[in-house]
Amino acid sequence: VGKFEVVSSKNILLVIDTSSTRTSVAIIQDRKPIISLHHDDSLAHGEVLPRLVAKALEVENRIDQVIIGMGPGPFTGLRVGISFAQIFALGRNLPWLGLCSLDAIVDPSAISATKKYLVATDARRKEIYWAKYENGRRIFEPHVSAPQTIQSLGLPAFGEGAIKYGFSQNMEFLFPNPILMANLISTAKTYSLPLYLRRPDAYPAPHNVKFRAMTAQDLESVFAMELLVYENESPWSLGQFEEELNGKNRWYLIAEQEGKIIGYVGALFIDQNTDITTLTVHPEFRKKGIGRELLRRLIDWARTQRSKSVMLEMRIGNLEAEPLYLAFGFVEISRRSDYYGPGLNALVMRKDLV
Amino acid sequence: MNNYLSDQGVVLGIETSCDETAVGIVRGKNLLANVISSSVEEHARFGGVVPEVASRAHLEAMPVVIEQALAQAGLALKDVDAIAVTAGPGLIGALLVGVSAASGLALALGKPLYGVNHLAAHIAVDIFAKDSEIEPEIALLISGGHSSILQISDITSNIQVLGATMDDAAGEAFDKIARILELGFPGGPAIDLAARTGDPKAIEFPRGLTKSQDLIEHPFDFSFSGLKTAVSRYLSVTPNFIRSDVAACFQEAVVDVLLIKALAACRETGIQTLVIAGGVAANSRLRLLAQDRCAVAGVLLRVPPADLCTDNGAMVAALGSLALSRGIPASEIGISARSSLPMAGMGTIIW
Repeated sequence: VGKFEVVSSKNILLVIDTSSTRTSVAIIQDRKPIISLHHDDSLAHGEVLPRLVAKALEVENRIDQVIIGMGPGPFTGLRVGISFAQIFALGRNLPWLGLCSLDAIVDPSAISATKKYLVATDARRKEIYWAKYENGRRIFEPHVSAPQTIQSLGLPAFGEGAIKYGFSQNMEFLFPNPILMANLISTAKTYSLPLYLRRPDAYPAPHNVKFRAMTAQDLESVFAMELLVYENESPWSLGQFEEELNGKNRWYLIAEQEGKIIGYVGALFIDQNTDITTLTVHPEFRKKGIGRELLRRLIDWARTQRSKSVMLEMRIGNLEAEPLYLAFGFVEISRRSDYYGPGLNALVMRKDLV
Repeated sequence: MNNYLSDQGVVLGIETSCDETAVGIVRGKNLLANVISSSVEEHARFGGVVPEVASRAHLEAMPVVIEQALAQAGLALKDVDAIAVTAGPGLIGALLVGVSAASGLALALGKPLYGVNHLAAHIAVDIFAKDSEIEPEIALLISGGHSSILQISDITSNIQVLGATMDDAAGEAFDKIARILELGFPGGPAIDLAARTGDPKAIEFPRGLTKSQDLIEHPFDFSFSGLKTAVSRYLSVTPNFIRSDVAACFQEAVVDVLLIKALAACRETGIQTLVIAGGVAANSRLRLLAQDRCAVAGVLLRVPPADLCTDNGAMVAALGSLALSRGIPASEIGISARSSLPMAGMGTIIW
């Protein structure tokens, strides 16, 4: 739908972001704002945005490209900005570019002494949207989690969400800044769809996926997927799966779609603790909430065993899994060297069940 | 203003109040394009419209639907003289996607924007079929969200609500009964189909608010909750019920009451034109029975084609076109979407 192209800095950019309580509009040329306007009202993006844009266009009506903050942010306000901006671009036959709004909150050059930090905005419902940055660059995709995630990571935090839950006093970097956003157009990751991060409430997630106990008949398919996913990271043998499945105090669950196994999770309950032995989702079925659902069901099972904690090992650098575990409240307790093979170190994480 | 131009102006209308993302293009009173993208299949999984699902679908579909409508009309955006958009009533998150898109388009093109009332638009769609003016007429407006009888003195500025539903909308009652009968979603077409093989006289279901005292106190109001209860009770005490008969008799009870009250409004006001609009107007039994009863009562019946009765963009463009040709000032920049109507009123017609 969108037309993506990076244009020269001489081009005139219309930047729009409605991902936070603030509605921001700026017209920027050569990294300098011709005009920059904003209004703070979490319930009035729809009325405010057209007025701000109309005012800005009175100053400069020639626009070459539209830059859109794609969130994450509260859905209704977020969509106001994206819908307006995309159709404005269509109306003028202009290219548009979508960026992650969190990336434009902190000016890295202003905090150059801080190598690692978090940016968090308010996701409502006692949650935050957040992302982790190193040397000014985002490390993994943004996530939605409990505010305590900030605490568990022990890094300096910025943004409306960090302030709201008392994890930051920095009032300088609260909202997506259109000038920073314009600076990012040639370097940051771009997005063509809104960063919702949450499914619609009523969604029967994940769609038409069935969860059931693993049986001996599944082992061949499970093993095939194990080899596919963990090719260079010490995959389990078929014998190991058989042993696990027949062992005591074990629990193995598979996710299945139209007869095809697309994920599995395993656990071992011992001495009041549940160890997650594996959590695996087929590469083509990731980012659909299947891992989340497998983990949620595993934790439910652990509770039924009166388990006091759940523990797991995760390969350091597994950027897809880490935010999921953090979101469920797992915290790092130690590290193990060469656990998955030479140079593949593991992070040991624990979640206390109370 | 140049009269020829304003009578023949090209208006692009955007509709996103519920689960249809729709764009229509009108020149004067001529329909040029009507494109609809529906998320109904996604909602079918829940047996009803999920607002967040609808809003997400609107955002994704909007640019495509606009481009398809332009292609269908054989026009470019530079040919558009004004934009019209449903600003209410409807699902607020869904409305905001359309209103924001329309505002963006109007500002990009430097053209006027008309925020329009969804219910009035359902009636305005009648301009395509008619040489004479719409007014005056009585409108029976029946959809998933509304069941009202309206007196249309001026479609852009003077609409009086004579009566409305006191509980469920007619379309809602269809959805609920279809769910109980396990006929699927949306319920209107499902019941219409099932009823074709049923006997509409097999079971006597109640007609809400038609007792003599009710006809005095609520001459033009509807109530469908008693009917719903009666159907559920019938099903629970009749283990071998015939599904098609239940569908036919339920439908007959709804249609009967709708027409009794609409024709009473024609009699009462002396207005001899009845327009039936809104999604439920697509019901085949209603269309047939309305023809018979209007012929007997000497009332001129107007029912838009079925595809213009359900939510669409052409109706929004039609009302925008009427506003433009009648010299109504354009809406201010930054209009508010409004989810509900004021008590017993139509609210704003043109924002």
